[in-house]
Amino acid sequence: MGSPSSSKFAILGVPETFDLDPEELERRYRERSREVHPDRFARAPVADRVKALSEATALNDAFKVLKSPVRRAEHLLELRGQPLGDKEPVPQSFLMKILELREALEDAQAAKDEAEVARLETAMRARFDAALRRVGQLFASGGTSEAIKKELIDLRYFQRFLDEVTGEEAA
Amino acid sequence: MALFQIAEPGESQIKEACAGRAVGIDLGTTNSLVATVRDGTPTVLPDEEQRALLPSVVHYGDVRVVVGQEAQALAAEHPRTTISSVKRFMGRSERDVEAVRSLTPYELAPASPDGRVVRFEVGHGRKVTPIEVSAEILRVLRERAEEQLGGPLDGAVITVPAYFDDAQRQATKDAGRLAGLEVLRLLNEPTAAALAYGLDKGSQGTYAVYDLGGGTFDISILKLIDGVFEVKSTGGDSALGGDDFDRAIAGRVLDEMGAAREPGIVRRALDAARAARERLTCDAETELAIGKHKRKLGREELEALIRPIIERTGGPCRRALKDAGIGPGGVDGVVLVGGATRTPLVRAYVEQIFGKQPLGDIDPDKVVALGAAVQADILAGTGRDDVLLLDVIPLSLGIETMGGVVEKIIPRNSTIPAGASQEFTTYADKQTGFDIHVVQGERDSVEHCRSLARFVLKGIPPMAAGMAKVKITFMVDADGILQVMAHEETSGVEAKVDVKPSYGLTDEEVERMLLESYEHADEDMRSRLLATERVEAQRILTATAAAMREDATLLDEPTRTAMDAAIAELEARTAGEDHRAIHDAVLALDEAARPFAEARMNRSIERAVRGKRVEELEV
Repeated sequence: MGSPSSSKFAILGVPETFDLDPEELERRYRERSREVHPDRFARAPVADRVKALSEATALNDAFKVLKSPVRRAEHLLELRGQPLGDKEPVPQSFLMKILELREALEDAQAAKDEAEVARLETAMRARFDAALRRVGQLFASGGTSEAIKKELIDLRYFQRFLDEVTGEEAA
Repeated sequence: MALFQIAEPGESQIKEACAGRAVGIDLGTTNSLVATVRDGTPTVLPDEEQRALLPSVVHYGDVRVVVGQEAQALAAEHPRTTISSVKRFMGRSERDVEAVRSLTPYELAPASPDGRVVRFEVGHGRKVTPIEVSAEILRVLRERAEEQLGGPLDGAVITVPAYFDDAQRQATKDAGRLAGLEVLRLLNEPTAAALAYGLDKGSQGTYAVYDLGGGTFDISILKLIDGVFEVKSTGGDSALGGDDFDRAIAGRVLDEMGAAREPGIVRRALDAARAARERLTCDAETELAIGKHKRKLGREELEALIRPIIERTGGPCRRALKDAGIGPGGVDGVVLVGGATRTPLVRAYVEQIFGKQPLGDIDPDKVVALGAAVQADILAGTGRDDVLLLDVIPLSLGIETMGGVVEKIIPRNSTIPAGASQEFTTYADKQTGFDIHVVQGERDSVEHCRSLARFVLKGIPPMAAGMAKVKITFMVDADGILQVMAHEETSGVEAKVDVKPSYGLTDEEVERMLLESYEHADEDMRSRLLATERVEAQRILTATAAAMREDATLLDEPTRTAMDAAIAELEARTAGEDHRAIHDAVLALDEAARPFAEARMNRSIERAVRGKRVEELEV
């Protein structure tokens, strides 16, 4: 589905690596925005405006993906031709554990037990950060796509849990 | 019409001819202003009596329409035919305002079965839409600017509350077109304010813009770095403002008087309340008079009345900070916008929330118009180009899926322009049609979101359930206005879709109203229209020729033949004197070019975004 993925790193002109400097990424984004934003072409011929609109859209999309470490990792796998699917197998025991934690969260939220909600969030944040560190190590040490995928699948569930805490939809 | 939707009608490439006549317009709930950049400095253009603010009030008289102070003076006497705070009705449907019908002094036309755009009855059987009322205000500002700048305008930037949804933005743009303005861009008001401040101070950092106007509240968190303004988050309440202060005061006084809520009395009470409130900005106590009824009003009583209203701004502020990923201490400065921020209690509350004394050295009534003028100057290509605005969409955009659940396609606070597409599939065997309901809002269930458009993708070849691949693409342009496209992929068949805006006006309606308004105008107007149409025709001819050269491969033979014929017709009519004939030929060319324009659009979208995942959709 969709067209073959092109590198969002290339769109921003940053090195194709997991270990991106966030400030450098932002700086490049601003530079590229200056070049392609439609405001630069407000009075240009139609063809140029169409081009600016599509380039700026692609740029904004690329920045959004690369800004998030999880989505950046997923994109790197895509570029390797090993995209993470929507229905990757997940170990039953892991699912059960997550389910338990979510139930605990729902109970705490229903009871308006803010201390418990905060405790669950902190614990989950720690798991999330640890998994993300492992992803970074795997990319740095030439780990297999399979190993990275496993962490990313876990991260998806962790993220959904954290979204649940803040009452936000997953972006 | 994708090709020409990007090229807004009326846009001219001949910028040298009228350089320096771009304006910024703050189309406010209570007052409107026009500003321009002169010798590098943004300046508000006053009327001949040196008044900068034009009250956003329109009176429909027996013989003529009056706008501004004059209309305001007639409001108490003619409450039903004098429309103020029309901005609150922009992009609203009859259904939206049904609940507040009894609270407005206006006579609203009876709801029509299709629940369309709200209309005011203004006497003699005339019904006007909020778009038409706003256009009257914009027309006065346009004429004021043209007189002072010495000729037709190069274009205008009109500001809108950041929280305006798609229908409200579209309505504002329509009003601009109706007033004969070339709308270069819609700009979020808080962004405009920051632009006015940022340029003056050359500051870097994170700023909060707290905008409490007559009828709307907006909060935006902006980051300013290397001349790039990035809107990190926005929030607000599109039905909260200084008018609510006046209503609270007037409500109490009317209760004391035991007065019936008749339009004339309500209007008088609201005016008296506003005047008293403004006096209390400096004074500790004032007198409030409605007819013979007089009473004292002290600042303490005022503050007790308005405190609950002011505190309603706290939630959106905290949410915006959270969305931007910063705490209150992370804000380097707070910019105040809107007349209601002069109220001392508002300033104190802002300081309490952000832990910083707010900035206020630019007149909070003018700061938005000044910023809009700066942006107009940049867009017109005459101003500085070291500044760039990166705006976000205020509300998530999505479509309705199975069971009335909303699937978000572009989440709120995405930087624009933004695009995303998602694939859906059919749920029934041999399903040939696909209903698409486009909604805007944060809630998961469709009834809590705002309906923007419904359309049907027809002509899907019959196949087993789940086999069709319907790709729905959302594109939000730099004005924050949405286009939705859908096509079925497996068959390769391009099915045609019609997006019918639920609340805005259709292009035909705007054209009709435009023409009607010109029919009542004088010869000058007619020749201006002819000139405008000629320029527009020339622009379309040039752009079309360039596009045909550049993308010859996307042109099939029937389309090329049809376009060649339409081009010849348009060239012939441009030599004539009939602006409508030229206009019709432009539309005919637009229509003939449609398949080509769509092919171009689809290709650029293909390049820009790719499908995310396949979802089931029940239709």
